[in-house]
Amino acid sequence: MGIHAWRPRVFAAVLLIIGAGPARAQVAEVAVERRLAEELGLSIGDTFRIGPAVDSITKLGLVTAIYEPRPDPAEIAKRERHVRLHLPDLAALLGAPDRVDRYGVGLRPGVSPDTAAAALNRSAFGYRAYSSRAIASESSQTLLVVSRFHRAIAVITIVASAVFLLCIMLLKVEERRMDAAVMRFVGVRRRTIFGALLLEAALIAAFGSVAGSGLAYLAGAATNAYYRRFFDTGLTFSLITPTIVLFSVGLSLALGIVAGAVAAWRLVHTRPLVLWGRG
Amino acid sequence: MSGLNWAVQNLIRQRLRTLLAVSGIAISAAMLLDMVMLSGGIEKSFAELLLAKGYQIRLTPKGTLPFDTEATLDRAGSVVGRLRRDTAIESAGAVLGTSLYGRSRDSLVTLVGYGIQPEAQGIYQMQRGRDLTPDDTLGVLLSPAVAGLLGAGVGDTVSLVGRLDPQVAAAGVSRRLVVRGIVRWVYDYRGQPSVGTILPVMQALASGGRPDDTASLLLVKVRNDAAVPAVADRLRKEFPRLEVYSVADLVRFFKQRLVYFRQLSYILATMSLIVTVLLITTLLTITVNERLGEIATLRAIGIARSTVVRQVFIEGTVLTVVGAALGIVLGLATARYLDSILTSFPGLPAAFSFFVPRQESLVTAGLVLMVTGSLAGLYPAWLATRAPIAATLRSEAT
Repeated sequence: MGIHAWRPRVFAAVLLIIGAGPARAQVAEVAVERRLAEELGLSIGDTFRIGPAVDSITKLGLVTAIYEPRPDPAEIAKRERHVRLHLPDLAALLGAPDRVDRYGVGLRPGVSPDTAAAALNRSAFGYRAYSSRAIASESSQTLLVVSRFHRAIAVITIVASAVFLLCIMLLKVEERRMDAAVMRFVGVRRRTIFGALLLEAALIAAFGSVAGSGLAYLAGAATNAYYRRFFDTGLTFSLITPTIVLFSVGLSLALGIVAGAVAAWRLVHTRPLVLWGRG
Repeated sequence: MSGLNWAVQNLIRQRLRTLLAVSGIAISAAMLLDMVMLSGGIEKSFAELLLAKGYQIRLTPKGTLPFDTEATLDRAGSVVGRLRRDTAIESAGAVLGTSLYGRSRDSLVTLVGYGIQPEAQGIYQMQRGRDLTPDDTLGVLLSPAVAGLLGAGVGDTVSLVGRLDPQVAAAGVSRRLVVRGIVRWVYDYRGQPSVGTILPVMQALASGGRPDDTASLLLVKVRNDAAVPAVADRLRKEFPRLEVYSVADLVRFFKQRLVYFRQLSYILATMSLIVTVLLITTLLTITVNERLGEIATLRAIGIARSTVVRQVFIEGTVLTVVGAALGIVLGLATARYLDSILTSFPGLPAAFSFFVPRQESLVTAGLVLMVTGSLAGLYPAWLATRAPIAATLRSEAT
């Protein structure tokens, strides 16, 4: 098998940190997450006490780095704070030497991660090997559920918007009853009136679509600004892609034109006297 | 003709537009109801889940939420003993959660193991067979998923394996146990393969056979519900090494984690109301404009302005009531679908619901919609009363 690196990656634990204390010789080097450093008022070079339980916060840690964790959508709601220690320091702190939670394995070029994982699972005992893709797929389940929920809400919103649009277009065209009656009285052909009303409906739908796109852009920007501040993260919460804009504009135009056509067709096939209110 | 009849006749006269308006209001009402259920349902469902067996307080290792990490608390037996001696406490029990393996023919199946104290347990409900007794060192309880995985039923013997040692390719500790019963673990996600033994057996499996007195969680049932906050405060002082959570505390943490959904529900509910207002206002405004001649005639023969205003209001209310009634049916159906999506969150207890249909949700959504729908008729009603009688009649006549 083409394994060329095999090293312990992580030993995660709940650690408790309090206050700052005097520097000593036996100090563990600690990288502190930026948000935690801000909350505790820590900066590089500070020392603090650290321990696995309230009654054993006895070891000293030295802040050697402050880091910004990679934004992770699956983690933002947890509001957990992290520190990173050298593995031997963390193992010593927890009194659990030579123990890790997981290993990272780098494969030689050309070796399939799934094949390597299957081989490890066949040959070893006491652990389970996963390819990075399998882990990514598993850990993205939460986001897939959120995505499905958003899609379902989007479908309901589209149906509601479609009905709203149909209703408005119908009313808008019906407002032109008197105009249509006058045009019919002076001899304008039905086809011309139908075309004029359809054009008007299309223009309104186009204008509404453009305005709606602008509104969506502003709402998206506001959503991103709010949630980035709320969760203190750089993640993008609302993403308006050209595909989404094209779909929305296309749907609005199609619905507007269809609604306009239906209403206009009804109008031009109504007797002029009825349109005039004397029929 | 009564005001209601008049309104209904007017709406029937414009069938297509009435149908579209009612459809729009119904969809908006459905969305509003769903969002009202979502905003309140999360915390209510979670609180009910936590109180499923009546335990109002949880104690966990400092800095952790129940079963959120693998952290355990030491000397669990001594802490439980102290809790049980407290006169305000009806019962207290420890739970240890760990991962272990079950033997299925020649392979091992990964399982979730719970060590429990049967005399004070709040995490499972019996489905078949009988419960463990406090000194039953040979018994085990299985979830239906494990029974299926191991092909075992009540009375069968299963083999559980604790910590595995990769160096020597052997199990650290193994136990053969008799299945006493099939249970539903209250906080398990759908299909979770869980087994339960009495606490010492699970402690031995988790620690590789070494003597151990750890637990992941302590459950406390207080005699008097009203005394829960006071007891929780007292326990915080008494056990500074532990985190003490009442159900209200846990609901607060849970709400923080799901704050996104609550905020989304508020935004979508507001949008639904805006759509409803726009629909009703637009429809009634155009209807009033079309009927200005009719309104002017009525005013000319002595019908009071208040009657005209009432008429427009009734029309708006009829639209809202019909739309809302349809919307409630539609909302309940869509809520089930949306709930089925959100409850597929990995790790979420199977008994949890995001959309909980309750009388108060229906009443709240209905009232909000009725008030909004009625207010939406204000502008068209104002237009109707401002119509100049003589000018309108003259214009109608020409």
